[in-house]
Amino acid sequence: MSRLYDTVEPAVIDEEMLKKAVEEQGPKEEAGKIAKQEGIDFGDVLSLRLDFLNILKIDNLWEFTKLTKLQLDNNIIEKIEGLESLVNLVWLDLSFNNIEVIDNLDSLTKLEDLTLYSNRISTIENMDSLLNLHVLSLGRNQLTDLENLRYLRRFKNLKTLNLSDNPFCKQDEYKQYVIAFLSNLEFLDYRLVDQQSRDAAIEKYQVSRDEMLHNEKQAEIKKEDETKRQQELEKHKNAYVELMNGPDLFEQMYAEDKEGQKLNEMPGLEDQLHSFKEKFMQICTQIFDFGIAEHEKREEEVKSFWECVEEAKQDNKRLGMVHIDEFTETKKRMLLEMSQMSDHKMVEQYARDYNDKIQVLWDKLMGLELQLVDQLEEVIKEFERNMQDMVGTFVENVQALLSQCRDLENNHHEKMMEIAIVTLEKVIKNELDDEISDDLKMLLVDKDTIINAVSSSHDVHLLKIDNKEDDIVTRINQSLKNLIEQIHQDEEITRNRMRVSEINNLIDHLREEMDNLEVMQN
Amino acid sequence: MDSSEMNEGEIHQIDSDDVIKEEDETENEEGEDLTEDAEALKAELAKIVVHPPSYEQSLMEEFDQAEFSPSYKDNLPKENLVLQYAENFRRQMVQLYRDRKPLFLNPVNECGVEKFVCTTIRPTLLEFKELYNWDGAAEFVADYLNIEPLKPEYELPKRLISPSTVLKRQKGNCFEYSTLLCSLLIGAGYDAYVISGYATKETCLADESRDICPLLKKKEEVQEEARKKEMKKYNVKPPRDLRSKFELKQESKKEAEKQAEKEKQRKEEEERIAELEKPPPDPYFGLRIHAWVLVLSGKREVPENFFIEPFTGLSHPMDSSNYLGIESVWNNVNYWVNMQDCSEGVKGLSFDLGDSTVWEFMFPNNDKPLLKIPDAEDDLNDMDDDEDDEEHEVEKYLDMPPSWVDALKLSHRDFQMRCPHGKKTKVYKRAKLEKFAHYLMKDGLISRLSVYEDRELTDLMKVHEYYAHRSDKLTQKLTNHRTGQVCENFDPGRPRCLKEHQFKSSTPGPENERVMIFYHEARVDGLVKREETQTEMTEEYSNRDDFLFYKYVEFGKRAKKFGPQETSSANKGRPINKMIQKFHRNRNKPANEDIAEIIFHVAEDKIHISYHTEDVRIAASTREFLKPPNWDEKGAVLTFNPEMHQTFQVDPMLPMNKQVELYEMLMELLKAEEKCRNEVRDSQNEVRNILDDRTKEEAASELDISVYDTERNEKAKKHRRELERQQLEEKMRKQEMDIDYLAPFLAKIGNPEKLSKQQAFSLKEECLADLKQRLIDKANLIQARFEKESQELEKKQAWYQQNQVSMGKEDEEEYLTYCKEAIFRIHILDLRLTRHKEQAPHKYMQLEQKLRNDERLSEFF
Repeated sequence: MSRLYDTVEPAVIDEEMLKKAVEEQGPKEEAGKIAKQEGIDFGDVLSLRLDFLNILKIDNLWEFTKLTKLQLDNNIIEKIEGLESLVNLVWLDLSFNNIEVIDNLDSLTKLEDLTLYSNRISTIENMDSLLNLHVLSLGRNQLTDLENLRYLRRFKNLKTLNLSDNPFCKQDEYKQYVIAFLSNLEFLDYRLVDQQSRDAAIEKYQVSRDEMLHNEKQAEIKKEDETKRQQELEKHKNAYVELMNGPDLFEQMYAEDKEGQKLNEMPGLEDQLHSFKEKFMQICTQIFDFGIAEHEKREEEVKSFWECVEEAKQDNKRLGMVHIDEFTETKKRMLLEMSQMSDHKMVEQYARDYNDKIQVLWDKLMGLELQLVDQLEEVIKEFERNMQDMVGTFVENVQALLSQCRDLENNHHEKMMEIAIVTLEKVIKNELDDEISDDLKMLLVDKDTIINAVSSSHDVHLLKIDNKEDDIVTRINQSLKNLIEQIHQDEEITRNRMRVSEINNLIDHLREEMDNLEVMQN
Repeated sequence: MDSSEMNEGEIHQIDSDDVIKEEDETENEEGEDLTEDAEALKAELAKIVVHPPSYEQSLMEEFDQAEFSPSYKDNLPKENLVLQYAENFRRQMVQLYRDRKPLFLNPVNECGVEKFVCTTIRPTLLEFKELYNWDGAAEFVADYLNIEPLKPEYELPKRLISPSTVLKRQKGNCFEYSTLLCSLLIGAGYDAYVISGYATKETCLADESRDICPLLKKKEEVQEEARKKEMKKYNVKPPRDLRSKFELKQESKKEAEKQAEKEKQRKEEEERIAELEKPPPDPYFGLRIHAWVLVLSGKREVPENFFIEPFTGLSHPMDSSNYLGIESVWNNVNYWVNMQDCSEGVKGLSFDLGDSTVWEFMFPNNDKPLLKIPDAEDDLNDMDDDEDDEEHEVEKYLDMPPSWVDALKLSHRDFQMRCPHGKKTKVYKRAKLEKFAHYLMKDGLISRLSVYEDRELTDLMKVHEYYAHRSDKLTQKLTNHRTGQVCENFDPGRPRCLKEHQFKSSTPGPENERVMIFYHEARVDGLVKREETQTEMTEEYSNRDDFLFYKYVEFGKRAKKFGPQETSSANKGRPINKMIQKFHRNRNKPANEDIAEIIFHVAEDKIHISYHTEDVRIAASTREFLKPPNWDEKGAVLTFNPEMHQTFQVDPMLPMNKQVELYEMLMELLKAEEKCRNEVRDSQNEVRNILDDRTKEEAASELDISVYDTERNEKAKKHRRELERQQLEEKMRKQEMDIDYLAPFLAKIGNPEKLSKQQAFSLKEECLADLKQRLIDKANLIQARFEKESQELEKKQAWYQQNQVSMGKEDEEEYLTYCKEAIFRIHILDLRLTRHKEQAPHKYMQLEQKLRNDERLSEFF
């Protein structure tokens, strides 16, 4: 039901309204008093209720980033908007408003409960990202098309659905249709869907449902294959030899080489071309296999490096914690003794002792940290050296293999040249048996043209191979550099700074504690 | 304390077991200190030691000849032959080896008949699972029989009683023990032999007082060396050791010297003790005759040869110093005489019974294959000998007659009683072991091991008691009389899942020192262990959803009450001074908000929290709250101000907590404290309940009876009897429901209540006439069949006569078989008719008799 515009003054969400709502709904009693004194951060609020306020436009809610529950029911909202920043929302109530289109919900991926009861919605749409949806209420809207409900199939967790009071409910097959096509539903229009009615509905729509399921399954399999392929490719990319297990490089050589393609049509070339391709592919596969093997080796190396670093850090941490625990014990004992002492001098003596102990603790902790820094530095250096060696071998081998490719290409080029000249002669003498395409004919006009064509094709091929080589070498070097830099940054600098500041913080705290105590005693 | 216990110990020895409990109680009541006079009295009393007189039994016990089967009283011809053979063998041995001791070959049995020892072994496999393995069988024999020492101990016994009789009378000498054990072992598939030889005095008299009790022997702990850390490629180098190498070396040298010194002292001490404990020299050393059992490897997956001492049921290695020599060895098929030198005991003897150079066999049908496979060269040399041997074998082939002993029988009840009268006591070095049959003792006691400080068994140290079938699941109880500590172990299945309970016998009540260990898997709260002292209680948990694993409570002194009790709550328990809860890390929370430890300083109104350390940090955040002054008033508004809270945050960059959050945290903590306090009270109550239960159980000490135990289960017995009764009734009813001849005729006249004389007569007549008619009908029927059959036969014969010439062989055969069958059928019918004719009058008479006796008609006849 929509309210009439002119009877009430539409309101705007402003600071005052929000503050009032938050305070009303916030902590009660003593806690409320304290909260009021201190002021409540909108960013901390978890649930907010803004109902019966004649709100026309959703606005000014961007501050409530932690909000999980939002109620905006019984207003006169016409458009869903301004909710983009509320990414933690689980519960959203927009019932009894004037919304016409479902929209702007894409960022609310955690949403589980969505209520759009009593609005003016005519199509279900734009909810693709709400995959966690459990409860959906679309009752009393303008939904007319049953087919449109198939959109809801994508919500695998959807258990409760309300569609009552929509135009299509008047159709006889409405209920069975919904149950048949949304067979995961447990509750529909406030009622439990029992197994009997589910079976009946499924039976009724058996054919179309089976077809749909089949299609969905196909799509799913396709998608899975796709992701699998993507993962595989990703892995190969990490090994820097992607696509080398196929004819990709070879095809690339000819992709931008129009003249080469034409030349390949020359008679008597098939065998040569075939054997060239075969050999070329063989080398490519070698590169690929080698690359994968090397990649695994490197991974292993990195893994063992991290294991050892982690272990060293854990050991160090343990030692540090032991020192701190020991100190805490002494501290407790000393404080107890001090509290029982009456002699002022003795107390001072104790305080001095205590301060000395703090100093000792600081020394110990810092010593440990320095030790760890030294150890890690050494290990990282070793790791860096090894990795560089490995990368070096990899690059060298790949280069050697690629130069084999180049040799092959050179050979091929020579053969091409021969064949081209022979063919040219034949063409000139008109002895050619087979028909040749016009494009090729254009090249076979004189010796210079054909030689130019052949060598330009050769150049393109070589360029491609060079490019590939450059690509592999630069990428692997770059990533190695990044890795090493990252390690230096994280493990040496950031970690060290954090630990040192932590130790200082702790020591400061301990000193302060002592000072406070002294002040109190005095 | 010591002397009082010494006294106690003595009483234990003398008195029956039932007294012990009372004694324990009195001990508890007794003061710990004794006056000088009392000490003196004690010393005086300790001198008085009573030796019960032992009466000598006449050696040759007489047996009632009637109860033995004939095989016991007489010899078969074959047995006589074997005896002659054995006699011959004995003579040859005496001839050849004049200085050898006589062999144990053919003693008399309980009926005074000479029997060859091999035939006395009766291989038997009894139905008890425990007897299938050698250790179980040996233990059973040791437990089941009482020992009769040989008299004199350097002479072979004159008589060898059959194992079946031994089982009945439950006592025997070492030869009878070994024969019985060997029968069981061979029956179970072991390669077992009886050995006749010489042993030490201790072994012959089963005196184990110099051996450590097998139950006390510590199992060798298989300590697996912690696996050395795998050296990985990038392991960090340990920090440099800056201590002086030289000084370290010197230190370790000194340490080693000290160690060596200590070791030396220890060894000397040990030697001294060993010297002291040595048995006094035995005048008959090496002459004492003994028999024991040898088990050879091979069968039943026995990896190597070993001896079994029948008196103790323990295994001994092949080089055992208890055995001093071997004369002969036998099983149920053969007899071997040892030809090896036993001057160094049994060490190094070969038990390759197939080797005739070291073992002289008695029967050539040696089932032991000659284990030594002669080399080709030897073969040639030995050729002649071999041939001789073979001839010998063929000539004098004589196999062992079957055993004359009846099959061994053992009732289930006797097996369960285990020992003679279900009780047995063994004395070990500084220990005494008493065994009882299951269900024999009212409190379920099955064995009690008492450990003493001294060898005279006067100074009791600790008592280990084992129980079975107790309904309170108590399995073990260890009482340390020195410290007064008692440790009870329970099987799973008790309410509150108690597993172990340690306490001081002097202070069994609640709020005292005790340790309780629980079956935590079965408990909802996951409690593993609860330790208590007078002022503290520590609880350990595992696998809890709230990650709690440790709880510690410190109690204060109970406030002294004056006058009448003010509130009921004051009665509840001691005030709590301090409570500590520790939690495991909950990975779902950030470390800085995951509480590691909460300390409720109840007495100081303070709450201290430490958080877990983050993975990358070494220090942990802490927080301390002062409780609001009116925190324990009900319904009061609790105020909060920032001074009530102190904190140390490891990461100073983190934003400060808001006051509201702190306030709510404080509220939570107050609730948690209340909860913790309640839990502590609950724990205290639980302890009290458990102790109450224990007292009740100790007083009642009921035994559980398995549903499968048909003998003891009274309920099942009753049920079975009931079933039997029902069956009997059913049978009776069926008999009553026998066929009523008169029913159809009665029905004809309309089943009248009472019959008139007229009716009765006609009824009888009718009934008899009916039977007569039926009998005649039957005879007629048989006759008709007979005639039909003979007619057919005649027809066939006529047909055969006509077509005989033109018939093929097959048809002829068919005809002949038909004739045979037909004649057979005719014959049968003939027989039936005659029998019917014979029986019909009898049947008639029978019916008449029956009718005459029928209660409905009897009044008229």
